[in-house]
Amino acid sequence: MVEVGDKVIGYSTDPGVRNKGASGGLVTAILAAALEKGLVEEVVVLKHINEYEAIPIITSDVEDVLASAGSMHTVPVNLAKYAIGKNVAMPGKPCDIRGVIEQAKRNEVNIDNTYLIGLNCGGTMYPVQTREMLINMYDIDPEDVTGENIEKGNLIFRTKSGEEKGISIDELEEAGYGRRLSCRYCDVKIPVNADLACGNWGVIGELTGNATFCEVMNEKGVRLLENAIDAGYVEIEPASDKAITIREKVNNVMLSMGEKWSEKVFTEIPDGERTQYYMEQFADCINCGACKEICPVCTCGEDSKCTMYHNLEDNYRMSMFHMVRLMHLSDSCIGCGQCTDVCPVDIPLTTIFRRFADKSQKKYNYKAGMTLERPPFLEVMPR
Amino acid sequence: MTENKQWEPKIVAFCCNWCSYGGADTAGMGRFQQPASLRIIRVMCSGRIDPLHVFNAFLEGADAVLVTGCHLGDCHYVNGNYKTQVRYDFMEDMVKELGLEPERLHLSWISASEGEKFANFVREVTEQVRKLGPSPLKPEGVN
Amino acid sequence: MKEMIYQTICPGCGIGCGLYIRKNAEGKLSIDHMKSSPVNLGKLCRFGMKLPYYYAKENNAVNQVNASNADVETAIKTAVEILKDADSSSTALLSVGNTTNEEQMAFTKLAATLSTVVQTGVSSECLNMPEASLAEIEKAKRIVLFIDPYAQYPLIVRRLLTAKKNGASIVAVGTQPLNLADETLDLKPGQYDELKLDRESLIIADMHPNSDIKLAKNILVLAQKTGAKIQFMRSFMNSFGTGLSVNQENKMFGLAELVEDIELGNIRTLVVLDSDPIELMPDNEAAIEALKKLDKLIVISSRSSPVTELANIVIATEPVYSKAGTFLNAEGKLLKNSGTGKAGVDALSLLNAGIGGKAFTYDEMNYLVLKAIEAQKENRSVAAECAASDNGISSPKVLKGKYELKYLYNPFMWFDQKDDNDFVLLNRNTVRKLGLRKGGYVNMKSDRGELKMRFRVEALPDGLVLTAKKLPVATGTSTIISMERC
Repeated sequence: MVEVGDKVIGYSTDPGVRNKGASGGLVTAILAAALEKGLVEEVVVLKHINEYEAIPIITSDVEDVLASAGSMHTVPVNLAKYAIGKNVAMPGKPCDIRGVIEQAKRNEVNIDNTYLIGLNCGGTMYPVQTREMLINMYDIDPEDVTGENIEKGNLIFRTKSGEEKGISIDELEEAGYGRRLSCRYCDVKIPVNADLACGNWGVIGELTGNATFCEVMNEKGVRLLENAIDAGYVEIEPASDKAITIREKVNNVMLSMGEKWSEKVFTEIPDGERTQYYMEQFADCINCGACKEICPVCTCGEDSKCTMYHNLEDNYRMSMFHMVRLMHLSDSCIGCGQCTDVCPVDIPLTTIFRRFADKSQKKYNYKAGMTLERPPFLEVMPR
Repeated sequence: MTENKQWEPKIVAFCCNWCSYGGADTAGMGRFQQPASLRIIRVMCSGRIDPLHVFNAFLEGADAVLVTGCHLGDCHYVNGNYKTQVRYDFMEDMVKELGLEPERLHLSWISASEGEKFANFVREVTEQVRKLGPSPLKPEGVN
Repeated sequence: MKEMIYQTICPGCGIGCGLYIRKNAEGKLSIDHMKSSPVNLGKLCRFGMKLPYYYAKENNAVNQVNASNADVETAIKTAVEILKDADSSSTALLSVGNTTNEEQMAFTKLAATLSTVVQTGVSSECLNMPEASLAEIEKAKRIVLFIDPYAQYPLIVRRLLTAKKNGASIVAVGTQPLNLADETLDLKPGQYDELKLDRESLIIADMHPNSDIKLAKNILVLAQKTGAKIQFMRSFMNSFGTGLSVNQENKMFGLAELVEDIELGNIRTLVVLDSDPIELMPDNEAAIEALKKLDKLIVISSRSSPVTELANIVIATEPVYSKAGTFLNAEGKLLKNSGTGKAGVDALSLLNAGIGGKAFTYDEMNYLVLKAIEAQKENRSVAAECAASDNGISSPKVLKGKYELKYLYNPFMWFDQKDDNDFVLLNRNTVRKLGLRKGGYVNMKSDRGELKMRFRVEALPDGLVLTAKKLPVATGTSTIISMERC
C-alpha cells in the first residue's frame, strides 16, 4: 500500500469529478472520501461565487466539496484560520499550510486531527486587477472567462467559446499585473510541509491535465490517500523517474524566479535612512487593525499586546501596535501577503515584516510554518 | 532648554531586583560617579522585561536602553535570564533593522557586588550615546 | 444551523465597501474580506473591522408599541391608525439613506399616499449625484481636500496616496495637518483663489445633514469658476440612493430646518426610516427635547438607537446585511446584497395599503429602482447652479482664555459606537499653558457642565480643541469652552 515518501500520479475514479476538477480531481476525491468515510467531521473548501471570487466555507456536505473543484488563482485568501478548533481536512497553498502549522505550534489547531492537502502554488493574483488585465492585456471580456491555468510560465485563460489565450507571466508582471508581490518572491512552491503535496507539475504524457502528482509526506498523508483508495474514490500509479525529475525542474525554475524577485524587492535601505523610512511607511496608518485580524499566524485574540499597549492618544513616532507586531512576527511571519492585501491605506506591510523576519529567521536557520519540530523560538531557551 | 547648554542623553536601565539593581546600589554606595542621564526601572527578574517595555522606552524618548540582570546561571528564578537572552537577541536584530544605532541597546549581566562595573557600563554608554545625539524615535517636544 | 454567509456592503459611509458577514451556528458574527469588490478590494477601515459589534444582537431593533414589546402586526396596525388620522401638512417622513434603495422607494410610495415627500436631511439647494468613479482621484493633478480622509473616509486615503505617487499636489483646507497633504491652509471662502485650481484639479468635499450649506455652495461655485471637478463624499451607506426617488421639484429641507419645524410645532407626526435625528444632530439633548414635542413618532428601523426609546411605534426590520436590496455608492455603482430579508418593504407595503394606497412587493420596488437608475443615466442632472452667498461663513469669536471646541464630523461616530477615540486634540502651547501632564486629563467647562477628557497633542492653531466624538459639553458643532488642568 501507500508509504511515506511515495510519489504517485493519481486521479478520481468518478468521471464527473475527474473532468470538472483541476488535474483529474484527485484532491476533490480525497477530500470527499475523508468526509464520507468519517476521517474528518468537516472540510474547509472555497465556495465558488464567480471566476474571480470564492469564499472559504466549513462544510460537512460532500456536494459543497464537489462544487468547489477547480483552480482558483484569483482568490488570494489564507485558509489557516478556518481550521481553528475543528477536526477538518483542507486543501491549501503552501502558505495556508504554513499558517496552520504556526497555529498548531501555538495550540490553536490540533494537528493530529487536521489533514492538510497541499497544492503546488506558483502564486495568486488580485481579482480586481485580473479583470483589468484581461481587458488591457488579453482583450477578453472578464465575464466570458470560464477557467484559468498556469503552464510553463504562461498564464492561460479559457473563454466560453472554448478559445485559450496565454501570455507569459514575466510580460504581465512587467506591465504591472500578474501575481501578488509576496507570491513573486515566495520561496515555498511545493507544500512539503503538508500531509500530501499535490500538483500538476510532473504530470506528463497522455495524463497531462488529467491527473495529479502527489507526494506522501507523512503518516497522515498515508491515511488520507489510503482512505480514498479504499473507498474507491481514487486510483494511483507510481510516478516515473521522468515525472519526478520534471516536477523538480519546474520547482527549481520557480524558486530561482522567486530569488530574483526577492533581490529586486528587498534592496538594502542604508543605515541612516531606515528609521525614517519605516516611520514614513507607518505614518498613514488609520489603526483599523485589519492586518492583525487577518494574520494567519496571529493567535493572540482580541486582547493582545499589540492592541492593549497601543493607544490612539499617544503620538509616538511609530505606533506601539506596529512595534509589537514587528517583534512578534519576526519569528513567525510566513510572508503570505494577507496584511498588505487588506491594508486600507496600502502600506506594504508584508514586505516590511519580511525585512525584519528574514534577518532573524535566516540567522537561526528557521523557516516559519514548515515543521512542528521547532517551536516558536522567540519563546524557547537557546540551545 | 537653551542652545548652549549641553544635551544630556536619557538612558533607561532595566535592573533585576536581585543582582543588577543591587549593582546599581553598590555603585552608589561606593561613590562611583554616575551620570545624571540614568533612569533605573526595577523589575523582579530580567525575564520580566518584555520587548514592548524596551520599545516603549524608546518611543517615550529614551536615547538608549540597558537590559541588565544576574549572570547566567545565577538567576534567582532559575532560568529567567536565559529567557532574557533569547528575547534580547531578537530585540537586537529588530533595533538594528529599525535603523537605530546598535549603541542604543545593550545587555549586561551585573551582580550585586559589581558596583564599579555598573558605573563604568553606564558611563561608557552615556559617552557613546552623547556622540550619536538624540534618538530618532524621540517624540516631538521631549528633550 | 449551518453557518450563514452574507455578501453586503459596509453601512459606515457612502463609499460602499464590499464585505462578507459570517454568522456561525451559534449566531456569532464575524467579517470576512471580499477582495473581488472593485470598490475597496476587500480593504476595510476601523468601522468596517468592528461591524460585528455594530450588528450585534443587542443593537437590533424590536417591534414596540408605546415602549412595550409587541408583535409586528400590532405595531403596523397601530401605525396605520396614527397615519390615517395624520394631517399631511403636519406630517414628515425622514430617511437619510441607511437602508436599501427598495425600502427607500417603498417609503416614497408611502409618502405619496400621505401627499407628502420623503426628506433626506439634505437641502435640495445643492443636491448632487455622483460624478465619477473614485479611481479618478488617482489621475488628478491637484487635489483640494475639504475633508479629513483619515478620520472621515479612510478608504479614499489609498486613492489619494496613489495620486500623490503619480505626481499630484494635495492641499488640505482646514486646521488639522494631514500626513498626506503637501500643505494645510486655513482659508475662508473669500480666499479660495489662493488654491490655484484648474480643469485638471479635483475638489473633495462632503455633504451630510450637518454640512454648512453656505460652505457647500461656495465650494460648488469654486468648482464652476475654475472648471475643477468635484467629488462629494456622502456619509450614509445609501445617501446617493435617496436621490433616486426624489422629485427635482420637491422642496427638501436640511435636517436642522426639519428639527426646527418640529420644535415650532409645524410638524406633529414624524415617520423615520433607519434615521435617527438624535444621533445625527450635533446636540443630543436639544434633539431629544424637540422630538418630545411631536404628537406621534413612528420609527421603522433595523437598529435600536436613542430615537427608538422615544418612539410611539417601532417597526423592526432585519439588520441591513441580511436585507434583500441594492445600494448606490459614492461613485454611482449599484451594489447588491445577497440577503433575502424583505420585512422592511413588506411593512411599508402594509402601511401603504392600510391608509388607502396600493400594496406592493419587493420585486416591484426593485424594478422601479432599476428603472430610476436607467432614467438617471440617460438624463444626467447637472449640479444645481448655485449662486455664491455673499455672507461669509462666520466662525465664533473666541475670547481670551477661552477655547473653541470643534466637532470634526466622522460619519462612523454618528452611530454612537464604542471606540477608543476618547480624547480631544489640542496643541502643544495649550498643553504648556495649562500645565497638562502626559497621560493625564484636561477639564473642559461650558454652559452645559464639565467634562474630564484625555488629550492628544497635535499641530493645531492656538485656541482650537478638536473632537471626533459628540461630547456632552458641546452645544453644537462649535462650542466655546474654558479648560483647566485637573
